[in-house]
Amino acid sequence: MTGLLPARVIGQPLERADGMAKVTGTATYAAEHPVPGLTHLHPVQATIARGRVSAVDTAQAEALDGVIAVLTPANAPRLASTEDPELAVLQSDEVAFRGQVIGAVVATTPEIARHAAGLVQVSYVEQPHDVALRPDRADLYAPDKVNPAFPTDTEQGDVPSALADAAVRLDQTYTTAWYHNNPMEPHATIASWDGGDLTLHDSTQGVTAVRDTVAPVLGVAPERVRVICPHVGGGFGSKGQPHVHLVLAALAAKAVGRPVRLVVTRQQMFALVGYRTPTIQRIRMGADRTGRLTAISVDVVEQTSRIKEFAEQTAVPARMMYAAPHRRTTHRLAALDVPVPSWMRAPGECPGMFGLETAVDEMAAACGLDPIEFRVRNEPERDPETGRPFSSRNLVACLREGARRFGWAHRDPTPRARREAGWLVGTGVAASTYPAGRIAGSSVTIRFGPDRRYQVETAAADLGTGTWTALRQIAADALGVDYAEVDLRIGDTALPPASVAGGSTGIASWGSAVLDAAEAFRDKFGANPSEGDEASGGMPDNPHTERYAMHAFGAQFAEVRVREDTGEIRVSRLLGVFAAGRIVNPRTARSQFIGGMTMGLSMALHEQSVLDQRFGHIVNHDLAEYHIAANADVAELEAHWIDEHDPYVNPLGTKGIGEIGIVGTAAAISNAAHHATGVRVRDLPITLDKFLS
Amino acid sequence: MDFLSPTSLAEALAAKARQPEAVPIAGGTDVMVELNFDQRRPSALLDLNRVAELSEWTVAGEHIRLGATVSYTRIIDELGTRLPGLAMAARTVGSPQIRNRGSVGGNLGAASPAGDTHPVLLATDAVVEAVSVRGTRMIPASEFYLGVKRNALAADELIAAVHLPITSAPQQFAKVGTRNAMVIAVCSVALALHPEQGRVGAALGSAAPTPRRALAAEAFLSAELGDTGQWSAPRPLPGSVVTRFGELVAQAAEPIDDVRGSAAYRRHALAVLARRTLDWAWQDYLRAGHGGE
Repeated sequence: MTGLLPARVIGQPLERADGMAKVTGTATYAAEHPVPGLTHLHPVQATIARGRVSAVDTAQAEALDGVIAVLTPANAPRLASTEDPELAVLQSDEVAFRGQVIGAVVATTPEIARHAAGLVQVSYVEQPHDVALRPDRADLYAPDKVNPAFPTDTEQGDVPSALADAAVRLDQTYTTAWYHNNPMEPHATIASWDGGDLTLHDSTQGVTAVRDTVAPVLGVAPERVRVICPHVGGGFGSKGQPHVHLVLAALAAKAVGRPVRLVVTRQQMFALVGYRTPTIQRIRMGADRTGRLTAISVDVVEQTSRIKEFAEQTAVPARMMYAAPHRRTTHRLAALDVPVPSWMRAPGECPGMFGLETAVDEMAAACGLDPIEFRVRNEPERDPETGRPFSSRNLVACLREGARRFGWAHRDPTPRARREAGWLVGTGVAASTYPAGRIAGSSVTIRFGPDRRYQVETAAADLGTGTWTALRQIAADALGVDYAEVDLRIGDTALPPASVAGGSTGIASWGSAVLDAAEAFRDKFGANPSEGDEASGGMPDNPHTERYAMHAFGAQFAEVRVREDTGEIRVSRLLGVFAAGRIVNPRTARSQFIGGMTMGLSMALHEQSVLDQRFGHIVNHDLAEYHIAANADVAELEAHWIDEHDPYVNPLGTKGIGEIGIVGTAAAISNAAHHATGVRVRDLPITLDKFLS
Repeated sequence: MDFLSPTSLAEALAAKARQPEAVPIAGGTDVMVELNFDQRRPSALLDLNRVAELSEWTVAGEHIRLGATVSYTRIIDELGTRLPGLAMAARTVGSPQIRNRGSVGGNLGAASPAGDTHPVLLATDAVVEAVSVRGTRMIPASEFYLGVKRNALAADELIAAVHLPITSAPQQFAKVGTRNAMVIAVCSVALALHPEQGRVGAALGSAAPTPRRALAAEAFLSAELGDTGQWSAPRPLPGSVVTRFGELVAQAAEPIDDVRGSAAYRRHALAVLARRTLDWAWQDYLRAGHGGE
């Protein structure tokens, strides 16, 4: 175990430190913080998709008992910066998408605020809107980069010639739907001003990022903004960056001179807190007679909003998954009159690996190879894009271990060959991957407290992932003490800053800083510190980052049943095997993996935000019609991992596990559905009618 | 908004007569959703949860009189053998929480084309007992559904109960959904054998502006079974009869394309469900050895 922190508490399946508080209802979420003199805000949203607000009649709303203020662009306080158009709320009368915030009511109760918001009369000058994403649009453009900072296009070798010369060729288009994050806890903010100091109770994946983003928008020094968020009821990326409600609450609190609470409704979430763009992926592949890929080409078309660009990095996984001398990837965007897209669990990898892994399944069949064997045959020795060695790459081990556990060995590859009581049964596999990264900027302070416990402090987040537990386990090992001797404090900008819980980087980033602080503490105070002794540390640079390609890998297996006469589809088994470095807490890790896989199942079969092009809004904007996989949709679900020792990723050897579980699941299910029925569904979601048309 | 909370049926009827615009609310599984989504803003709600008479079921001769607010859970637990078709449909409603709150009276009041119990009520010749201060009307289910979310109730009437024949004859219900539970039907079919009348009841849901009977399918199958003496001496049905029955059920539909499925898919699936329910029901009938001895 060279170089890595020895594991003693790390690796134990400890129960969640915050579990009892959560299940007994004493854990305080953003909207629940008691704040004296609280008022309540309800937004007024645009009912057109493009144009201008020409007049707002607030008289009826203002006349209602309990209404404190009705804010419009005409009377709202000015923001210091309108550089981010998503956050520049009530600063102009332009409407850029249906559902955009164009006003707000502050009242003494949420009910009065909501009632009054409905009484605000808005007149518009409407312009024709354009919300249609099509691959043949003339105005598609290449962004400067794709999320977060990858090149938009890449090209290696000579793809056209390689495709022309290939013995086996594929040219297919795969599409993924428009998806909305629906964490159980909706977005919520309480904003209170005390003179020039602002306190925000916000449901967020990063209090530091919220502070640093919002302070300049409001024209306040960051040190005068405090953001508090001990618990998050799920985020999946939608709480990774501040959205408009946060600025609106702060602005309104300033305007009325009282604390303001804003709880975004489930329906409002479909316009205001980001979503995953639909993607259209044209994939071309060429292979020689032995099933070795010679060319991979992925051309992605997706959308962004007209006011703010977000470019999902959908083709990025095709740059590193498989060996091929000739390769090209492109991203093109349509800027539409739609809400602003943003992060959703595994942006890029999640939709991109649906297309790639379905195409690989098709190529394997075309080459007459088992899909696992095909992947093994195309395993690269080095990262195809950079030429760097992988810090560790155990995709093949995951495929082999998964095949053993799943019972893949005697699979008959013939489609539509197994029937059980009217159901067609099939199995499928897909690979999974996610980058193993870190984000700089975290600090940790460790203090020896009066109770002779170590207080470990950093502004990290726990969005249900297990940070409260896992980071404490790391601190215990870093300090060489028992878990019970560590007291962790997170989720508050009064603590040392921490990077956002995003990109599966949390534990690797904060954990590295914990380790650094613990080393500083022991260097300074030795093994027997005195009360009040304190040391800090940060995340050290990793010299290996420039020398190695760092990714986690996995293999997803699915068994699917499709009713032959009606096309009803059920996933009877899902099994994932992952290689994601060291696992800090097997109990919470398993939850991460199976949660991701369930979300992948949901993407495969259920989730789809349906756009009404006439009006520019999502029609199924509630959980009755936007289906998310629930208990009855999940039968057997297993997640396993292999012991992986990676001395290069960081001193803890962890790779991050928050997102990899969703990657590849939908492809495994679509591949299994093809094996069951002989029908290849290339457009998600896989609904019953697609097997019969 | 007024919130009226009568404690007896007489009080409830008086209130409804005084304020005919008051929207009755029982389990709230439909009404509360509509209020939350601002799809309606009634001036008054008429809470029926304290009206004990509505939450009872009794045996009245050959019928069950099922109070309007008896929950789906109780129908499943207490009436599964006597009202088999209704219990089957009740099992497919929503989630356990919804089944604890929702009721057939609520399903009828909402009159959604996708309501799960409607096809069963149509296929089993159920009769709706509508009451007002003016008296009682017995409305056959087949005359109850007038349009999308419109029913035959007068403004001052409430649903007191539904009368369903007690039967030991086979009944079936089948529904296609996009997932296993908590799902609105893409389409559904109910089938009831009425051997004593020499007749078959068949109805479909979620595939027309209202739930509706498949009259041509009923007539075809009733005639086939009657002409060939099947009621007294049942034999396995010819495949051609089952197929034709399925076609006629599908033809009774007037489906639309929507988020849950295409019109073409619904027609296809209705035929499948019709064949499936007929197969199951006839198997039951054969097994029970009806008529023969």
